[in-house]
Amino acid sequence: MRIVIAGAGEVGSHLAKLLSFEEQDIIVIDEDRERLDVLDSSYNLMTVCGNPTSFLTLKEARAGQSDLFIAVTPFEATNLVACSIAKSLGAHTTVGRISHYGFMAPENKSAMLNMGVDRLIYPEYLAAREISTALEHSWVRNWFELHEGQIILVGVRIRDNAPLAGMQLKEFASTTGCFHVSAIRRNHETIIPRGNDYMLAGDVLYITATRDRIDDLIKLCGKVKRKIRRVLVMGGSKIAIRLVNMCGDRFKFTIIDNNRDVCVRLPEKCPDADIVHGDARDPEVLAEAGIGRCDAFIALSPSSESNILTTLSAKEAGIKKSVAEVEDIQFIPQAEALGIGTVINKKLLATSSIFQLMLDADASTSKCLALTDAEVAELEVKPGAKITRAAVKDLHLDRNMTLAALIRDGHGMLVTGTTQFKAGDKVLIFCLAGALHKVEHLFS
Amino acid sequence: MRKNLNIRMLVRLIGGLLQLEAIFLLVPLTTCLIYGEQDYIVFALTCLCAAITGYLLWRVYPTSRRMGKREGFLLTASVWVVFSLAGMMPFIFGTPQVDVSTAFFEAMSGFTTTGATILPPNENISHGIIIWQAMMQWLGGMGIILFTLAIIPALNTSGGMQMFNAEVTGVTHDKIMPRISQTAKMLWGLYFGMTLLLTVLLWAGPMTLFDSICHAFGTISTGGFSSRAGSIAEFGSDYVLIVICIFMLLSGMNFAMLFKAATGRWRLVKHDEVTCIYIYAILVFTALFAIGRFTSGNIHDWRDCTILPLFQVVSSITSTGYLAPGFTIWEPFILALTFIMMFSGGCAGSTSGGAKIDRLLYMGRFLGNELHLCTYPNSIKSVRINGKIVNRDIVAKVVAFLCIFMLLIVAGGTALSFMGLPAVDSFFSSFSCICNTGFGASLTGYGDDFLAIPAGAKWVLSFLMLTGRLEVFTIIVLFTPSFWK
Repeated sequence: MRIVIAGAGEVGSHLAKLLSFEEQDIIVIDEDRERLDVLDSSYNLMTVCGNPTSFLTLKEARAGQSDLFIAVTPFEATNLVACSIAKSLGAHTTVGRISHYGFMAPENKSAMLNMGVDRLIYPEYLAAREISTALEHSWVRNWFELHEGQIILVGVRIRDNAPLAGMQLKEFASTTGCFHVSAIRRNHETIIPRGNDYMLAGDVLYITATRDRIDDLIKLCGKVKRKIRRVLVMGGSKIAIRLVNMCGDRFKFTIIDNNRDVCVRLPEKCPDADIVHGDARDPEVLAEAGIGRCDAFIALSPSSESNILTTLSAKEAGIKKSVAEVEDIQFIPQAEALGIGTVINKKLLATSSIFQLMLDADASTSKCLALTDAEVAELEVKPGAKITRAAVKDLHLDRNMTLAALIRDGHGMLVTGTTQFKAGDKVLIFCLAGALHKVEHLFS
Repeated sequence: MRKNLNIRMLVRLIGGLLQLEAIFLLVPLTTCLIYGEQDYIVFALTCLCAAITGYLLWRVYPTSRRMGKREGFLLTASVWVVFSLAGMMPFIFGTPQVDVSTAFFEAMSGFTTTGATILPPNENISHGIIIWQAMMQWLGGMGIILFTLAIIPALNTSGGMQMFNAEVTGVTHDKIMPRISQTAKMLWGLYFGMTLLLTVLLWAGPMTLFDSICHAFGTISTGGFSSRAGSIAEFGSDYVLIVICIFMLLSGMNFAMLFKAATGRWRLVKHDEVTCIYIYAILVFTALFAIGRFTSGNIHDWRDCTILPLFQVVSSITSTGYLAPGFTIWEPFILALTFIMMFSGGCAGSTSGGAKIDRLLYMGRFLGNELHLCTYPNSIKSVRINGKIVNRDIVAKVVAFLCIFMLLIVAGGTALSFMGLPAVDSFFSSFSCICNTGFGASLTGYGDDFLAIPAGAKWVLSFLMLTGRLEVFTIIVLFTPSFWK
């Protein structure tokens, strides 16, 4: 697949890096030559230096022949114009990154299509949606639902008190039967487990289950379901505003920000939230904002370090659920190891939604979940696909991927060795970074 | 903390490449069989040895597939040495009175497209040996690694990128396709196509098929190999001179540019400063040569001031090293001009040797700016190529390259004179080898070509040829302590 990425910023570079591992043809456009040189010298891709909204540059990058044109510069207007030009040159699908909800509203979709922008990525919206899910299911780190919740994939960190800690996978499967351990994250590394592997205390397990067995799973993992009501948010960022508007009155929000101007303008955008001016890193400010009565703490300031550390001190105050935005990817494993409930990263979310586009360019309902070194995706089996030819155990799947569950005729079930796929099935796949193109191969 | 070198991965890849060389050795083997020559045993054995060693090394499984910059440099350098070591076997066993140092020099001179031959004159040399000499130049011309990148998908990663950067000539490396394997495929495709075309054109002339293949290999790779003892002059045909001249000219151009031209983007090539300078340089030097020849009064017919000077200029600037008939007795003034062309070489990204016109252009502009700054210290000047500003880091790298290049010529020349060679010849041989031109020392006057050189000097020259072909940094960096830390 020929993919042109306009903008070698954080999202663009990350995307280019990952996609080049996936054996795609990548061309990156940016105005800053130095940034391009870094990418060019160490990754398997081509770079073009120039303005992404100029016809000349886009022609040089042969955007017209691209299957996917992704505009992810920091500027919304640039992205939309670049998409529009690329589309007019003949790009198959264009994706633009936006930072206002207005573009995404369903009633404006046709206007966007007329402009030549096929898809939109709104990382702040994705982040807000992720946080809202995390608040609703406070006992998990990641929660991924398929087909109205028929199949659920959860990421849970287990501790010593969990009944399944120390159990071998074979044993776990024979005693309980109706769960699929898709992956285990241990010591900063994600592995696709086999029957002989053990689940240890401290691991993050990614378990797939059907909806009716979720309550059993909570017990097995040694967790308690907690209802979240009061939420304290640090930083009045775009994500915070999106989150407050998205959740309506399900939660009661208090936003703390250390910039008075931001605080003054916030009530206009989030009328139902309480706004506090102060530095959330100060324990007294936290106490004053009512941390003692809050169920959850969400750190969304621009600094990853502050977010991680403030969340840790908030945890000491006895909150039940913590969420921190960590934009530096290398800090994510550290943050997870320190016991932060859910880590949010805009780059990973954006990348993940683009991966989904790549895999299945026409299914608008499909979802995906981004982890630091793995991807979860939902894919529909097409008639005649390689995967329909044999039962799972005879397919000789790559060791870097696992098929967790499927939806057939609106009914969810787990995948076992004897499962035979049919066209029209929706399959939940868990694969490690770099193996996604192999998945694509199986399904096409 | 830096990680240890991924030696296992390197060993495995070298094994894979050796097996590849075994496949290439099948060509001379078949040639021997076709002509019914005894040398097929030599090639069969070499081929078998390379295949078995390669297979054994290939069985080393790496714990990680990671390939960093250091692995890229080390692999590229060692692959060239290993290829030469395997490639010299047929010379040791297939030709009389050839010792290891001579055979290694011959193989290295082949792969680096220097084209300096030191095999003793031999009437009964087999067609197998001849085609193998030509093939070594052809493989080395576009690059062994690049060929591998084109056909082995496993290298289509960032590790492959490092190797590409370490082998391909030029200041910056333009990719013509998004992925490294596609770029390699396109470049090799073009290279192959040009070779094929030249073979057909030569065959249509006075040459036999065998001779045309050998000369096509020698020309496109700018190695300058000839299957005849008397080189091109033996054919006595202007048609051959002109055809070869045109193809040498093309091979001295940036292959990425040729690719663009071939795909219909002429405009880019027409506006490329380096290509223009290359063409102008050839015209100017030809004019100077012609004037030099004309004023000497020592000319016989019109060819002496037209075709022959042009042929000689193109052959020198592209580092091919074919000699125009009678060149050895041309005027010293012309020889001096030849030195300049040998030093400059062709365009970056071509198969030619030398320091490359691009670098001299960067250097020239940079020096101009520095001189301007002496009088007007407050003015801002930057090096611009094709209208775009070149980063100062790149200019610094070019300056560093030229400095090391000069130092190596001096060091090589000094080392050779230690071994008892006359001073002028030492420096000329050292210069000719690092520029991969391969003009023998006969030009400066002593003895017969490189034949008279002592064994130690052959190793020194082999080293210089490799350093010149891989453009200095890839080899020299291996001798810095920080590389191994």
